[in-house]
Formats: sequence, structure tokens, C-alpha cells
Amino acid sequence: MYAWIRVSLFLAWRAIRRGGKVGTLLNILIIAMVFTNMILLSAIMTGAVNLFHEQTVDYVTSDIIIKPAEDERTIFLTSDLLDKVNRVPGVSRASARYALGATLNHKGQSVSIPITAFNPRDEVEVTKIHQEIIEGDFLSPGDDGILLGFFVAGYEDQSMDFFESLGGVRVGDSVEVMYANGYQKEYRVKGLFSTKSYQADYMAFVSWEEMDTVLGRENTESTQILIRVISGEEPAVVKTRLLEFGVQERVETWEEAITKVVADSLETFAIINRISVAVSLIIAIVVIGIVFTIKTINQQRQIGVLKAIGIDQNAIIGSYVAQVLFIWIFGTILGMILLNLIMIYFTAHPLEFPDGDVVPAFELITMLENAGMLAVASAIAGYVPAWRIVRENTLTSMRG
Amino acid sequence: MITTTDLYKTYQMGNVAVHALNGVSVSIKEGEFVGISGASGSGKSTLLHMIGLLDHPTSGAISISGLDVLALSDQEKTIFRLERLGFVFQEYALVHELDAFENIALPMMARGETDDRISDRVSEMLASVGLQERGTHLPKELSGGEQQRVAIARALVNDPDILLADEPCANLDSTNSKAVLDLIREINQESNQTVLMISHEDWHQQYFDRVIRLKDGKVVEE
Repeated sequence: MYAWIRVSLFLAWRAIRRGGKVGTLLNILIIAMVFTNMILLSAIMTGAVNLFHEQTVDYVTSDIIIKPAEDERTIFLTSDLLDKVNRVPGVSRASARYALGATLNHKGQSVSIPITAFNPRDEVEVTKIHQEIIEGDFLSPGDDGILLGFFVAGYEDQSMDFFESLGGVRVGDSVEVMYANGYQKEYRVKGLFSTKSYQADYMAFVSWEEMDTVLGRENTESTQILIRVISGEEPAVVKTRLLEFGVQERVETWEEAITKVVADSLETFAIINRISVAVSLIIAIVVIGIVFTIKTINQQRQIGVLKAIGIDQNAIIGSYVAQVLFIWIFGTILGMILLNLIMIYFTAHPLEFPDGDVVPAFELITMLENAGMLAVASAIAGYVPAWRIVRENTLTSMRG
Repeated sequence: MITTTDLYKTYQMGNVAVHALNGVSVSIKEGEFVGISGASGSGKSTLLHMIGLLDHPTSGAISISGLDVLALSDQEKTIFRLERLGFVFQEYALVHELDAFENIALPMMARGETDDRISDRVSEMLASVGLQERGTHLPKELSGGEQQRVAIARALVNDPDILLADEPCANLDSTNSKAVLDLIREINQESNQTVLMISHEDWHQQYFDRVIRLKDGKVVEE
């Protein structure tokens, strides 16, 4: 066993060192390109998914979200619950939100979305919307203005809008709001924010006190409570603690809170990525297989001679597989160098997507998985042509 | 040492059956230097390939040192060739990517010998074929005669019982041919190695202990 492996490696290494350089370099380049292709698409998708996750945590759900119990529309005694939640170890801050359906109008343009109330002092501790103000100011406690997401404000040229908008509302403009409870009020737009998250940017906010006015009472209910955990804490662990502290409502980590539609989209990304990887592997097998088929046919006579002088067939096949694996090692290293250069470039110049700037995320585990799959594909591409020639009758091979 | 009994080999060329061997029975003693001659198509290469276990007869038997070699599996035949037979071919048949030293070392490596043992033995073989200074040269850097001497060294490096040479001088000039034949004769006499060599040059016959002459797949002179 040991002897034929030694012969395989010996023949392979000598063939790499002293064989045709152009063919070897071509193969290394093929492996490097296939590897880069396999990783790059996956990295862009991972970057897009990471961006979506960051946006979800930073602007939509924070780390943990508490929703009303089943069969309830609201969370009762919100103030007590906030006090309880804020005492749980690992919780940095909680912010209650109350959403009420409304229709916003501006110069004949209308948008129907829920208007969400929060306490600005709490909100700045759990989300980063306040960091994304592009015009005007964030809400202050007791504020009687309205804060609009950029997709709600929209463009004057509505062909540029993703969704129905108010047609280019700006800070200082008046927006008429008709709430679902019949309350109607004209608000001055205090600020516009743009997070590039389509979920967050299609929202409108007012202060908690303003919602009291809308409801005509001091509001003690909320529709959700967002919780930021202390840096380094795992949301899932803090969620368990919340339940242990007797929180009866539905408690979900941000991952659990992502809607099924979003989860399906991410799964679609994963399927596209798997198809892309499979196609890349097939390309690698076909191209390397063709190169090695030509190589083994050209070396048919030499293979026959090796068999004649008593070299084990496994050693001969192994030498071709080992050659491909040597090529795979160099190709993968070259591919990793290329990917690092690409990563440096895209870190400086992120890919601009409608929902944010995506920096491809190269994950070591993905690289190793793909490198492993490419190794298997390469080995198959080296094995099959060699096996076909070695199977030939020795004399037939020797005659070429 | 080597006995063939009633060897027949028939090739099918389309609808035509070609009888390459027609009942060849020969016996070769240990240490003999035997020439095989005959016209083209007489069956000499076929006979050598049968004895070298590179091909299988249609019928008949081959015994080497009392062993029925036709009963061996393909894997066993490979090991038998590696350990007990040495081959020298017309066109040297060296591995292009290996230098002279490495070509000679290859069969030893396949037997699982240690690096030290390989180094000593290959150096010895290079010296015995007069190429001690050419060990690091690739085949393309060697003359035809030098390449054939490397091939002979490779064939003998595992100290086989039998050396099978298929027209080893066919591509050499008379000076190089003489050097190769002298070398083989010397090895045959010094190591008592059995040698079967195909040749149809009359002047080669002075080297042989005897000649098996074939015609139309039959032994006509032994």
C-alpha cells in the first residue's frame, strides 16, 4: 500500500515539475477561477444576508422582540413589563412601541401604513434609526411632529419610488394623518431617515405622548417591545432568562422574528448558491477531465510501459489523481489570494444594492467546504481518464 | 526455468483469424542467453510477450521455475513482472519526466525499498552500465545508446531471474549495439541471469548460447 502511494506521489511530483508548464498553469488557473467563482457568489449572498440581518437588528427588531400573547392584539401593562424586562441580566434597554393603522396624505398622495409610537429616550438605546437621519431631527420626548422613513416620503418623480409614497415630502412640510380610530391631525414633518432597509424605511413614527393624544387616554399598552442585549450576550440566552423571569408574552430573538417570506428568500439565495456551486464543479470536472484525457491519451504508451515493468495500476492511476490534487492545492491557494484581493477591493468599494452597501463576506468554513468539494471534483477528473487508459490491455497501451 | 507447452495465440482481425503462435513448445534453462529470431510476423514478439506475462495465449501452458504463471491473477502477474522479470524494449521506453537515476530507481521504489538501499543500488547500476556521471540527466539529454543502457539498468535493478529484451539494438548504431550486447552478455555471465532476446541481426548470434528460430508461429530451429 505504502509503496504504490509513494510511487504515485513521486511520479506526480516529477510530472508537475518537469512536465508541460503551460498545461499545468492552465489547470491551476482553471481551479483558481472555479474556486473564486464558487466562493464569490456565495460571499456576495452571505454579505447581502448579513446586511439584511444587521438592518433587521439595527432598525426593525433589535436583538429580541416581545409580541402580544396569542389571541391578544396588544401587550398590557407595558410600563410594568418594561420595568421587569430592564431588570433581567443581559438586557441593556427595552423600548415599547405602539402601532396604529393610519392613512397619510400630502398634496393628493396617500399612503396607508401603521404609525408607530415610541419613547425616543428608550428607542435610541435599542435601534439605530436616530443615526440615519438624512434631513431634520429625530423625535424628542413629547414631540408633536412626525418622523418619516424615506420610502414613505418618496420622490417627487414617483417613478423612482419602490412603494407608494407621499410624493417627495420634506422636513417642514405638513402631512395630514387619518388614524384608524377616526382621529385626524396635520403633522409637521420633523425628520426623515433612510436606513436602506425597506422594512424600516416604510415606517412613520410619533412620540409616545403624541399617541396618548391620538388615543385620547394615557396609553398603557404596546404592540411590541424591542430589547437590546448587552454586548457579548447571546440573544437566545437572554430570551431564556426573560422567560425564566416570568415574561408571559411571545418572546422571539431577531432570527425567530424574521418572517417566513424573508426566511424563504434566504432559502432561495441558498438554493441559487448551491446550483452555482454545482455548475462550477461540473465545469471543473469537464475542463480538467478533458485536459487529463488528452494527457493520458498522449502518455498511453508510457502507461503501458509502466504496467509492463510491474508498476501497480493503482500507482499509475494514483499518480494522475495526485497530479490533479497538486494542481488543486496551487489553484486553491491562488484562488484564495484572488479572493483576498477582491475582498480588499470590495471593502473599500462595497457593492451598491437598493437595500444597502454589500461587502462580500468570505467565511472560512465556506471556503474549506468548497475547497473540499473542488478537491473531490478534481480527483474524479483525474481518476476517470487514467482509469480508462490503465484498463486497456498492456500491449495495446504500449503500442500507443 | 522457462517451459512453454503447445502455445497457441490467435488474433481476430475483423473476420480473419491470424495465428501468431501455432503450438510453440520451448524450454530454456537457467542462465541461458537465448536469441529468438525469425522474419517479421513469425511470432517472436508474441512469444516474448507471452513469457513476459504481457499477453495471454489462446491455449497452452507456460511454466517459470515450476510455477504455472497463466494461473496468476492480473495483480499477481504485475508483482511477478516487478520481482522476477526485467524488460528492455526497442524504443528504450523511459519515463520522460524522470532522470536516469529516477528511471532506474522506479522499480525498486515500487517494491517498497528504502531510500538508502535505492540510492546504493541505483548508483551501482549506473556504474555498471557506465553512466555514473549521467544520473541526473533526463532521457532527452541522453543519446540512444545511453537511454538503452538506462533501460537495461532499470530492467536489472531488482535483480530479476529473467531479462526479456525485445530488439534492444533496433534503434542503435553498430557501436552502441555492440556496447549494449556486451553489457547484457556480461550480466548474463556474471549473474547467471537468464536472458531472452529478440534479434534478427546475424552478427548478434555470436552472443547467444543458442537461437530459437520461428516461422509462421512455429519453432523451426532450436
